[in-house]
Amino acid sequence: MKKIYFLMVALAGLMLLANTTRTTRGKYGMVVGTPAIKSISGLAFGPDGVLLVGDSKSATVFAIDTKDATASQTAPVEIKNLDQKIAALLGTEVQNITIQDIAVNPASKSIYCAVQHSDGTPVILKIDGDKIQPVNTKNVAFSSLALNNAPAEDAKDKRGNSVRVAAISDIGFADGKVLVSGLAGQEFASTFRSIPFPFSDKQDQATLEIYHAAHGKYETLAPIRTFTTAEIKGKKYLVASYTCTPLVLFPMDELKPGTHVKGRTVAEMGSGNSPVDMVTMTKGGESFLMMANSARPVFKVKYKSIEAYQGSLTTPVEENFATAGVDFVSLPVTNVVQLDKLDDTRMVLLQRRSNGSLDLWISSERYL
Amino acid sequence: MSVSIPKDLVGDVPDDSIPALVGVRLLKTDSSTAIFGNYENGDREIRFSPLIPFTHGLHYGVWVRGRRVGSFEIPAVNATDRPELTSVYPSGDTLPENLLKIHLYFSRSMREGQSGKYVTLLKNGKDTVSGAFLDLQPELWNADRTKLTLWLDPGRIKRDLQPNQRLGTPMQRGSQYKIMVSQDWQDTRGAHLSKSFEKSFVTTGKDNLSPVPTRWKLGIPKKATSQRLIIIFGESLDYGLLQEVFSIKNASGATVSGKWSTVMEETQCAFEPEHPWQPGKYVLQIENRLEDLAGNSLKRPFDRDIRSKRPVRTEGRYTEIAFQIP
Repeated sequence: MKKIYFLMVALAGLMLLANTTRTTRGKYGMVVGTPAIKSISGLAFGPDGVLLVGDSKSATVFAIDTKDATASQTAPVEIKNLDQKIAALLGTEVQNITIQDIAVNPASKSIYCAVQHSDGTPVILKIDGDKIQPVNTKNVAFSSLALNNAPAEDAKDKRGNSVRVAAISDIGFADGKVLVSGLAGQEFASTFRSIPFPFSDKQDQATLEIYHAAHGKYETLAPIRTFTTAEIKGKKYLVASYTCTPLVLFPMDELKPGTHVKGRTVAEMGSGNSPVDMVTMTKGGESFLMMANSARPVFKVKYKSIEAYQGSLTTPVEENFATAGVDFVSLPVTNVVQLDKLDDTRMVLLQRRSNGSLDLWISSERYL
Repeated sequence: MSVSIPKDLVGDVPDDSIPALVGVRLLKTDSSTAIFGNYENGDREIRFSPLIPFTHGLHYGVWVRGRRVGSFEIPAVNATDRPELTSVYPSGDTLPENLLKIHLYFSRSMREGQSGKYVTLLKNGKDTVSGAFLDLQPELWNADRTKLTLWLDPGRIKRDLQPNQRLGTPMQRGSQYKIMVSQDWQDTRGAHLSKSFEKSFVTTGKDNLSPVPTRWKLGIPKKATSQRLIIIFGESLDYGLLQEVFSIKNASGATVSGKWSTVMEETQCAFEPEHPWQPGKYVLQIENRLEDLAGNSLKRPFDRDIRSKRPVRTEGRYTEIAFQIP
């Protein structure tokens, strides 16, 4: 065999450079360039196939036009050992990658998947049927919004901004707004932002601290872990699950910049467990909250029960919350690590099977 | 990193045919998968840059028109060049039983999502406290992945929440605990920690009270010196927040530049001015989000009993303490 000459060239840092090549603003105020994505904590979709990327490391939300806005010709299928297939396609071994999030593009029904290499390099993949392809993030139409809205005093580097620890815990899109929940490592508090999309230059965003009454006895301030939105009796709600497990409802119209909103705790989902993902599904005119958990099966909660329960929360609840709260059903599906909505009645699940295989599959409507 | 494939191995190919004709694959039993990356068609070579860096210790092959034309190995990580866990906060050895946060500092960028595997809390030298730390995805790292904050499960610490009632608090007063960090934790290059780490401490009772700045003592420096201003809290406060929440303003409202440091197991902070102190009035400004070790901030305790008539301690963003350099 002819001896191959090869040369390794260090390109470290290259992908961190945002080289915007054109400044004319297109649809949604986007420009063509390369978004400087440093990490991917969460993926969500905005309108017309716009992919929203929550980047904890640069405290930025990116909106990328995927141009994937028409229904895919390929129906989603089960993919066994998804992590191993992705590792092979990236030229590494499975222990060196983590699947950070999956999100279904509602326009095309393609599944988008955020993967992180052990050195931190983020990759976005698109899954159509059984075909996995990289999503190009070079010279694409995009816009971005820095979440660091700290006043100038804060931004001053007292002893290096680099020690600041924070993460985006979830990202979503509802009614023309990008919703972002965040955690700061330093303080035990919640930040929830509702950002109008397209992003405006004046960064008109709501930053909220949220209190929730657990038990009617102790008022606590805690960070949101994951959330979804739902309509209950014609009113829009943020359905949030917390780092300390309660499930809390907030009326969307009360989430205004600078306000403190008191949420209503509707359930506690168990000890030693944390919610992973939540989606709102509908079947036969009834809607359901589906929730994947770290140490429990997938829960199904009827929004009807939440509605019924809401009345009783207008006054502090005296009884023990360990047994109070809305009823929920445990589905015979455990170890779901990622969950998203495919359509009203079907979900995309990434599940660690009992044989160790990490499989992507589509639930049928019988789970509702 | 990228790999250059000489043109004489490939021949003349149009740009759009490169991915169909040329591929880099991981060398293993089933080497049918070409790895994702970008091809750059140069005059004398085609340069392939993989989407993620090639992995240390693995072998790769280059295929042209269905035939393997060469291979290369990415050398394993130098085993002597290892990351270290440089410090852990809080640094004291007597901590409240409702301790909320632990900060770990590393000398290199570490792999994320591993803390559950490698950090354990041991009680009385033998029992592992299961579910002590909150399993957060993503974990709370800084941008360069050298500092990690872990939370002891707040659902277990908060009074009367279900995890608190079912499992109890992660720690109880009057016990000995050890935080253990395994040597198996790898940095982003795949090198293990140079050694494992242990921090022992004993627990005291619950701390449910917010820190009160009016009770702090100030050690006032002399004029025309660069002596340090000392702030004595009377209790340990959260190291992570102490890095961020203080500033000193002079009489005209300008920020005095200088260096902050944390001393005496985070019970004191010291400020060393860049320029000698001028006599006059100053204000120490403290952001009210500052917390003690149990998550009680200047604004409010971690758990506030809403039946209590006591109002929330402090409103607004800052608390100010005036002082004078005579």
